[in-house]
Amino acid sequence: MSRASAGEIARIGVLVRIPPALRSYTAGEDEVVLDASDLAGMLKALDSSFPGIRDRVVDEAGRRRPYVNLFLNEDLVMTPLPSVALKPGDVVHILPSVAGG
Amino acid sequence: MVGTIKKDSVVVAVGTKKGGFLFHSADRRKWSVAGPFLAGAGVYHMGLDPRDGRTVYAAAPHFAEPWGPAVYRGRIGSEPKPTSSSPKFKEGSDLAVSRVWHIEPGSSNEPDTIYAGVEPAALFRSEDRGDTWEDFGALNYHPTRKGWQPGGGGLCLHSILVDPRKPKHLVIGISAVGAFESRDAGRSWTMENRGVRAGFLPNPYPEWGQCVHKLAWDASGDGSLFQQNHTGTYHRGPDGGAWTEITKGLPSDFGFPIAAHPDRKGTAFVTPLIGAMNRVFHKGQMAVWKTGNAGKTWRKATKGLPGPNAYLGVLREGMSTDAEDPLGLYVGTNTGQLFASRDEGESWKMIADFLPPIMSVTGGMAR
Repeated sequence: MSRASAGEIARIGVLVRIPPALRSYTAGEDEVVLDASDLAGMLKALDSSFPGIRDRVVDEAGRRRPYVNLFLNEDLVMTPLPSVALKPGDVVHILPSVAGG
Repeated sequence: MVGTIKKDSVVVAVGTKKGGFLFHSADRRKWSVAGPFLAGAGVYHMGLDPRDGRTVYAAAPHFAEPWGPAVYRGRIGSEPKPTSSSPKFKEGSDLAVSRVWHIEPGSSNEPDTIYAGVEPAALFRSEDRGDTWEDFGALNYHPTRKGWQPGGGGLCLHSILVDPRKPKHLVIGISAVGAFESRDAGRSWTMENRGVRAGFLPNPYPEWGQCVHKLAWDASGDGSLFQQNHTGTYHRGPDGGAWTEITKGLPSDFGFPIAAHPDRKGTAFVTPLIGAMNRVFHKGQMAVWKTGNAGKTWRKATKGLPGPNAYLGVLREGMSTDAEDPLGLYVGTNTGQLFASRDEGESWKMIADFLPPIMSVTGGMAR
């Protein structure tokens, strides 16, 4: 899988940036391009390509795991995942929160 | 550091707040260590599968927090990897596993079967060494579940006993719900809490709500049990019925682990602490107490253990035995020391210091 150009992302779909801790699921790839219309659908699509990765972001009741953040472009997602619409060219970052103190 | 662990070595798997370690020795005098494994992760439980002596299982978050719970599997001495999936509640239950607390190998004639106890309290079984899981609906969605309340460590299922003679016979312990028993491979369960105090509830002897801290088979092999509880130490006969409190002779009714002799009937070991509000050893002296008569009397051992002025504790998975003769006993502290006895708990030697806080200790044998 090669890295997608900005033009390809805009044409094909949504770019998902994969954090290092989850790259064991993506065979080391740090970004993946998917076709999805909302964040919940993006996670399902991601999981169908890389089984098990969705469980690391949300639990079996569909709730985002504590200290796991999703950013849509540069904005932290605070609302339920199905309500967050995506369009081609969007970039989704999956990131652990600092959780420091 | 990953080390070579020789066949026929005694192996003590130690889960800590920051990774797991395998201590190993051919003679139980000179010890070597392999690890840390899963460095940085809180390893709630880790152990060598006694059925093959080569597979290590561990319960820890996926690559440390916050990526959710995972079960790890690996060859002894190598870095364990997450299994293909983790235990999960059924869809629509609105429950979600937050942590795996304990992994228990199945019986010897089911070499690929393992059980997992999780938080919030539930029991799962895998028949393919942890790659897929089934949940025990009769227990996990028990009619009393809506009233279950967590203990100080959370609403965790931490004790899983599989009867070595009758694999369909299971006993589990949940804080602060109590003990449950199944004699039909988990299709139905009975609450087994009669005679166990719950001094923190209006009714001190309820049907359920007791804060069981750890369960162990009595080596009598007839289904008899030992229990260390938040309020008392107990023994129960093979046919169910009421538990007998055996706290008399101990310095307090509070402690976490209980380990039983694998072969000698009525023999068990406990580490009583002052109490719930001060979870350290009495008078700053670490001590392991032993009974050889199912709790009728207890004897204290302190030789080689720290004190006075040793204000430390032992967590619920923090004590284990090997299967040697004389029996070896191992205790890990929440201040990072690992102690070993090769004379059935009479005398002790510290075999590791400056580990992260120890959460589990499991004895075994490499093959």
